[in-house]
Amino acid sequence: MLVVIGILIKILVVVGITQGAVAYMILLERKVAAYSQDRIGPNRCGSNLVLPGGFRLNLPFGLLQPIADGAKMILKEDVIPSYVEKPLYILAPAISIIAAMIGFAVIPFGPVGTQAPSGVNFQIAPGVDIGIVYVFAIGSLAVYGVILGGWASNNKYSFLGGLRSSAQLISYEIPLGMSILGMVLLAGSLDLNTIVNYQDGHGLWLTRWLGLPAWGVFVQPIGCLLFIISAFAETNRLPFDLPEAEQELVGGYHTEYSAMKFGMFFLGEYLHVITVSYLTVILFFGGWDAPFLNQIQSDWFSGLLKALVLLVKVGLMVFFMMWVRWTIPRFRYDQLMDLAWKALIPIALVNLVATAAIVELLRSSH
Amino acid sequence: MDTEFIPIFLFILVAILTAASMLGISAWLGPKRRTLVKQMPYESGMDPIGDARQRFDVRYYLVAIVFLLFDVELLYLYPWAVAQHSATPAVVAVHAEGTPPPPSAGIPPVFRSLVFFEILVFIVIVAAAFAFAWRKGVFEWR
Repeated sequence: MLVVIGILIKILVVVGITQGAVAYMILLERKVAAYSQDRIGPNRCGSNLVLPGGFRLNLPFGLLQPIADGAKMILKEDVIPSYVEKPLYILAPAISIIAAMIGFAVIPFGPVGTQAPSGVNFQIAPGVDIGIVYVFAIGSLAVYGVILGGWASNNKYSFLGGLRSSAQLISYEIPLGMSILGMVLLAGSLDLNTIVNYQDGHGLWLTRWLGLPAWGVFVQPIGCLLFIISAFAETNRLPFDLPEAEQELVGGYHTEYSAMKFGMFFLGEYLHVITVSYLTVILFFGGWDAPFLNQIQSDWFSGLLKALVLLVKVGLMVFFMMWVRWTIPRFRYDQLMDLAWKALIPIALVNLVATAAIVELLRSSH
Repeated sequence: MDTEFIPIFLFILVAILTAASMLGISAWLGPKRRTLVKQMPYESGMDPIGDARQRFDVRYYLVAIVFLLFDVELLYLYPWAVAQHSATPAVVAVHAEGTPPPPSAGIPPVFRSLVFFEILVFIVIVAAAFAFAWRKGVFEWR
């Protein structure tokens, strides 16, 4: 019973932190957008606050904007048009957010197992050793939210958005899954901790010779590139945001949604961005591994430091995703499908065979 | 049931409750002023023409079918990728009666090259199927 309560507390902490992070990611996104376009962006919420007792508070950068946004989402009218399939219409945003949330169950937020200080576990379900497969399985459930939302809305824009989105999500799932097979082969495990520990180790002959760490980006550069491209498509980030191409489809699959239901689609999308950033860093950028950090003994301090290193890397990845949004224009739909089927999947297949052959040769030679 | 999956089920429960409470609170706190126009499907301000239940492009079906094929084949590659160079390969020798088998199931080193070539055959078959679909124009979106 005590164990269950402990797990529950951990889950609630993770849920609270990730949802808070999403709120501030939306502010960050708007700020990045604003500065990219030589604007200032939101800067009013939080400035010139008069607190009870006459205190004046002046927060910079519109730091209270997320709270205002959240309150607005909850207090707006929840319009349910009369033409929709009501049960599915309500179910769709719920599926979208549930699928986005439960992916965090196996993601290590810091060192786990032998690397971690005793008694600390930066992971909700540490015993589950199928890590990546679980995350991908849950991630593909998000397709249901999108296609049910698009279909149940009974709106042409929503329907087209839902169709496009589901075709895009399933197309990019294949290169996404193939791109990590090389890392799985090298690390010999699907467990995310084992993969991080592998990147902490010796690596291949070439990276050793060049003096590089055994990070996925160095031992599997093509896999890393394929993974990041597919991850952008899976999270509907900008070069691939055709499902909501607002110039053609208004809002895509969430055209008919309002109030918190609309907010839930958004929340799900940004939670996916966090998940994908964590996966990218853990699989290809060494996780919590950093130069010189291994010399420190495993104690509380180093455990927290490693979790912080991971967090900083994830933050950089999130920022990178926002940066790309204002750098690369949107694809056309046929270009999008061509990229997935005619470029990424053949490259991923070749990469997998090449990796397997090289590893085979290296291992059999000694 | 294995206990390591309990946290995942708990997390699913928490996620469902969160989603339900979000839907509930929003429906409870928001104003409700239904008007005829607000209930219409949005079509950029025009009165909607027909409904959205119309025929759509068959290529979406084709992509879905090809996806099913490849996703299943992809899933078959995962166990191989884990086992091929697992740090703790299975012991080939028969262990004593009554003792539990060793906890890992990596491919024993003797069989590694054999399994590697078998997987190559599998990948070649997948690639042939892929080339066939390509030639048949499944991936043409113009």
